Amino acid sequence: MSIELTRNFSIIAHIDHGKTTLSDRLLGFTNTITTREAQDQHLDAMDLERERGITIKAHPVCMFYKAKDGKTYKLNLLDTPGHVDFSYEVSRSLAGCEGALLLVDASQGVEAQTVANLNLALGQNLHVIPVINKIDLPAADVDKVKRQLEEILQLPADEAVSASAKMGIGIEDILEAIVRLIPPPTDPGDGVLRASVFDSVFDNYRGVVSYVRIFSGSIQRGMKIQMMSTGQNYEVKDVGVFKPKMVACDKLESGDVGYVIANVKSTADVKIGDTITETRNPAKEPLPGFKEIHPMVFSGIYPVTTDDFESLKAAMGKLQINDSAFTYMAESSVALGFGFRCGFLGLLHMEIVVERLRREFNMDIISTYPSVVYEVKKTDGTELVVDNPSFLPPAGEIEEIREPIVKIFIMIPNENIGDIMNIVMDKRGMLDHTETIDDRRVMLHCVLPLNEILVDFNDKLKSVTRGYGSMDYEHAGYRADELVKMDMLIAGDPVDAFSCIVHRTKAESRGRQLCEKLKEVIPQQLFVVAIQAAIGGKIIARESISALRKNVTAKCYGGDITRKRKLLEKQKEGKKKMKAIGKVNIPQEAFIEVLKTNN
Amino acid sequence: MHHLYVHIPFCHRVCPYCAFYKHTPGNTQMAAFVDAVVAETRRYRDKMEINLHTVFLGGGTPTALSETHLERLLTELRETLGFEHVTEFTLEANPMTVTAKKAAMMRAQGVTRVSLGVQAWDEPTLKTLGRDHSPAEAAETFAILREAGFPSLNIDLMFSVPGQTMEQWAGSLERALELKPDHISAYNLNYEEDTDFFDKLQRGLFQEAPERDADFFFHALDTLERAGFRHYEISNYARPGHESAHNAAYWFGKDYLGLGPSAVSTQGLTRWKNIADTQRYLDAVQAGLLPQQEAEQLTPDQHQLERIALELRTAQGVPLTRLETVPPQTMATLQSEGFIEISDAHVRLTRQGKTLADSIAGELVG
Repeated sequence: MSIELTRNFSIIAHIDHGKTTLSDRLLGFTNTITTREAQDQHLDAMDLERERGITIKAHPVCMFYKAKDGKTYKLNLLDTPGHVDFSYEVSRSLAGCEGALLLVDASQGVEAQTVANLNLALGQNLHVIPVINKIDLPAADVDKVKRQLEEILQLPADEAVSASAKMGIGIEDILEAIVRLIPPPTDPGDGVLRASVFDSVFDNYRGVVSYVRIFSGSIQRGMKIQMMSTGQNYEVKDVGVFKPKMVACDKLESGDVGYVIANVKSTADVKIGDTITETRNPAKEPLPGFKEIHPMVFSGIYPVTTDDFESLKAAMGKLQINDSAFTYMAESSVALGFGFRCGFLGLLHMEIVVERLRREFNMDIISTYPSVVYEVKKTDGTELVVDNPSFLPPAGEIEEIREPIVKIFIMIPNENIGDIMNIVMDKRGMLDHTETIDDRRVMLHCVLPLNEILVDFNDKLKSVTRGYGSMDYEHAGYRADELVKMDMLIAGDPVDAFSCIVHRTKAESRGRQLCEKLKEVIPQQLFVVAIQAAIGGKIIARESISALRKNVTAKCYGGDITRKRKLLEKQKEGKKKMKAIGKVNIPQEAFIEVLKTNN
Repeated sequence: MHHLYVHIPFCHRVCPYCAFYKHTPGNTQMAAFVDAVVAETRRYRDKMEINLHTVFLGGGTPTALSETHLERLLTELRETLGFEHVTEFTLEANPMTVTAKKAAMMRAQGVTRVSLGVQAWDEPTLKTLGRDHSPAEAAETFAILREAGFPSLNIDLMFSVPGQTMEQWAGSLERALELKPDHISAYNLNYEEDTDFFDKLQRGLFQEAPERDADFFFHALDTLERAGFRHYEISNYARPGHESAHNAAYWFGKDYLGLGPSAVSTQGLTRWKNIADTQRYLDAVQAGLLPQQEAEQLTPDQHQLERIALELRTAQGVPLTRLETVPPQTMATLQSEGFIEISDAHVRLTRQGKTLADSIAGELVG
């Protein structure tokens, strides 16, 4: 089939604006799947994806469409993850396309995520076709959405297609627009194999399956190929396309989207964005855009019972095979024992991994308060990257600490501007500019430290706006700030697990909060226990737990003796699970209570 | 076997805080009950060597038995086991369950010590505790017992009862002292599972208050020591020479035989418990069986742990030889913080340590 008849496109949308329904409609209209199959939401999506209405892995699919011009076109839909955590994967998927459908809910209008995703698509020079979806809803206001498209997104509203994926309205118009407006792939014409990997999955029977877009040349079974970033060579075992199930074919040619199976052992060996070329006649340069991805958010994951350490390790290994962006390294904490320091692309990614460990691997785990990665410049000029406050050099050796910052888009009703601005200020953020979306809503463009939106920012936004607010963000580099390490001392001894890096202006309130929490969860001891928050040698907050005054059972006669012993045995057993910090015994639950994410 | 306990599970009224096995007499045939205890006694006499030094009849309320039944029980026990070496013979009694005649009979049967369940000397506290006697009636019963000439009399008192004020507690102690008992047991109310009080605690109607408990405890300690009593165990105070030898047997790990429903026995490292159900107890005995319900074999570690926990509660203390595995740091901290003191090769609780015996025992055993 001629490359002129191929169209590669993606669908970008805010959550719940109907992306999955639209892809199902397109698959149905082109007879790629039957309606009955469509009920399964077309692809073997993970439960989590379906539950949350998000896409975590790419789900490419190949369709054939006979257009009104009489020609049959090959349409490759590269469904992509829609969350900022996966923005690199998204950018690689989008790089495999020449165009994108931008889906906007006719009743909701443009949302924060719409803007973020559009920026990504425009960054890849894609031709963007706006699709106004859900026009059948009583609250639909197509004209208003069109104005928003022009004014906020600077997209030509006359190209917008009105549709209702649910009712099957406008589907053919969308397909015609794809054929007419999205350019066909271009090929440099040198016949050299250049294929970009935009995702990979691990299949228990077939090993690593790489999802590729061919930019030039062709790839077939038996060919010796090279991954350009690692220089590793492999032999192709199978190639094929997604219909949407994997269907083998003779070869993939320039402009095609499909899969390649070679003798690759782990998805870690297949880097997203890498270029596959032919070993015998390699490309001189890889395709642009590849980068090593690094985790942005770190958290400790510990088994609740120490015995589960090995099974947790095995589970993480299995997860990583399919998710090379997830990193883990064994670490031990005085408080929590043996566990792992895990790296994630962002908060959603972290939640997904934790949830999958719990559900798919039945692991009983504790995940600790997340932290970001800091860049530290030492006084001797050396630089280091710190993902765990315990590894921060002594204050005297630090020249500056830089923290990751993000550009954040916050879409909110007009009346909430004041409240949201207060939250942004409180989170050490700055307003860059505001944009009027319509007569009810504005979009705030702000810059905030990533650290400040890690835990409760979205919750606060949702609660202040009673659910009407939405946000999205993109990474915006690092910035130096007045960051300090705060230690928590229990009876004078610092406890590593509670150390954290905080902004100087926030140290006192965070310190007080941690002191109060610790006071609440540490049981009374035989002694008075001082709890202190300190920066360097300076105490910035303190609490104390008064000594236990009475703990003695009244009677101990014949029949009570066994009961008394059992209580002591239980006490003894419980003590084994406690961590002794100096002379203070702290139950593990207390650590968990303080360290867990949602406190 | 030198120590005998007999459990009489009858009370005219069931108190809402009590977790011992007991019930109102209902349809129980008292004669049959006495027969069963006697039959059980004979069975043990044939099974083990018994040479009694102390005897204790507890409950329930032993004096809930009629004079006739009680007399027969005491006679049979003495005739079956021989009381020649018995130096202490205690009977628990509740106010209004002992007449002068019954008391004289008890004394004639060799009872040397009566423990009277007074609990409080003020109406509101008695009411909360569900006791069916008045302060005056308790005093009356005490006078009857004194009159009968028992060499040693104990009064049971209870503190930290819901609603009880310090004044009421102080009043109870004073009133008890006025009667010149030889021994006072002062119990901190415990919320025991399967009691009405425990249920109320769970539902938040009652609250525990360790601070108040400590205040009440120290008030009793000071008052009773000033009055010449020796604090010889966490909950027990005695005039010199009136310490309970039977209870000391439990605390110092001696063997003891328990008869009657729910009674516990310990011989060496074996401990067993009788059926805690009067009817099933009767059925078992009548069927010619030993009415045991459960038995456990203590490991040497468990035995050691019990020894430490119980001896720590006594004035005699724990011999250092038992504590050789305790980390020196632990001992040093407990000592420097003023919870224990060491002398004559024994570890003893200090005044400050006494209210924290359970926690300190926890440090010493683990």
